[in-house]
Amino acid sequence: MMEQFLAAMIGTIAFSLLFSVPSRYYPWCGIVGGIGWLCYLISGSYVGNIVGCFFATCVVVLLCRFFATRMRCPVTIFLISGIFPLVPGAGIYWTAYYTIMEQYSLASAKGFETIKYAVAIVLGIIFIFEIPQGFFKRMEHKEIGQ
Amino acid sequence: MLRIMEEKTGLDAAALAGRILLQNGAEIFRVEETIERIAKSYGMEGNSSFVLSSGIFITEEKDDKHFYANVKHIPLSAAHLDKVAAVNQLSREIEEGKYTATEAIAELEKIQQMPEKPKWAQILASGIGSACFGYLFGGTYMDSIAAFIVGSLLWMFLCVMSKRKKRTTKIMLNLGGGMFLTSCAILIYQLGIGDRLSHIVIGSIIPLVPGVAFTNGIRDLANEDYISGIVRLVDALLIAFCIALGVGIVFTIYHRLTGGGMI
Repeated sequence: MMEQFLAAMIGTIAFSLLFSVPSRYYPWCGIVGGIGWLCYLISGSYVGNIVGCFFATCVVVLLCRFFATRMRCPVTIFLISGIFPLVPGAGIYWTAYYTIMEQYSLASAKGFETIKYAVAIVLGIIFIFEIPQGFFKRMEHKEIGQ
Repeated sequence: MLRIMEEKTGLDAAALAGRILLQNGAEIFRVEETIERIAKSYGMEGNSSFVLSSGIFITEEKDDKHFYANVKHIPLSAAHLDKVAAVNQLSREIEEGKYTATEAIAELEKIQQMPEKPKWAQILASGIGSACFGYLFGGTYMDSIAAFIVGSLLWMFLCVMSKRKKRTTKIMLNLGGGMFLTSCAILIYQLGIGDRLSHIVIGSIIPLVPGVAFTNGIRDLANEDYISGIVRLVDALLIAFCIALGVGIVFTIYHRLTGGGMI
């Protein structure tokens, strides 16, 4: 589990470099990516991969918005690289692969699964962005107050 | 007359800020908000802006006399989130009244000139990212090492392609990228590095995956910026399709040559 967390974290940081995220945000991007992947693994083993992906996206977006409020920077900075481990890159590959191997039922199964993952991510993003900004500001104040 | 000139400079600053944001991977909502914020802090209440994923339209009217319009076409380009962060910071400072319009434009031009990360760092990051994601998606350590090599080579390929005199289209870039990375993966696999070809390819595909277009597209749709959202999602879908096609073409040829079973 620790290895998985580290791999997701380092991978996310590598991609935040490719998107020219300022280097002071690297650790936070890494934490978002790592925790998101852990959530996906843990919740996925209970409720299935697609619902797990939904929960993981929710956690990722929540963390991103929290960090963004705290550090007064656009949420995009954390979100784009943090969500990368969840984006179904492997799904694209398997769909193409099975299509070439002329295993069409497997190909369409993988294709639909990829779309389901995408929809899970979409829902996660939309739901969490409905939470008003005030909620995150209050959370920040509470933390400073302690 | 002087005041009018100053207002014009203020709006130019707002337009330039919007342009930098849009070009470097910000959402439509943020672009509109920033333009309005900057324009207001230079005393222009009557401005309205209309932002698409490929262009910005700003008008300003005052006292029924002075009109100002600014239309800018903004080509799609890669995300540079450091510039988005810098413009965001600057717009807050403008709101606090720290800069005059002329100074703001100078600052924005400085942001536009911000250097990219050095090429070797990008290549290394692409390799490390590929290796990590290859491992996450079920590859072995050997697969990760192979994905590291292929991922680094892929980024070199992308750098070379984007330096060509004739601009390489996005479709060709991703199609070519998919073909290139699969060829490299097959070569390295044949050399005996890596356990399963599929997992090497999955890892090294990741630098091409359209994460920025996908995430921003969804967020634009969620904010009811439908036109831009659709354009960005189509962009993401098209890229994904091109990658799959690129991988597919090379695999098909490989499959035919080896008589199958090798993948």
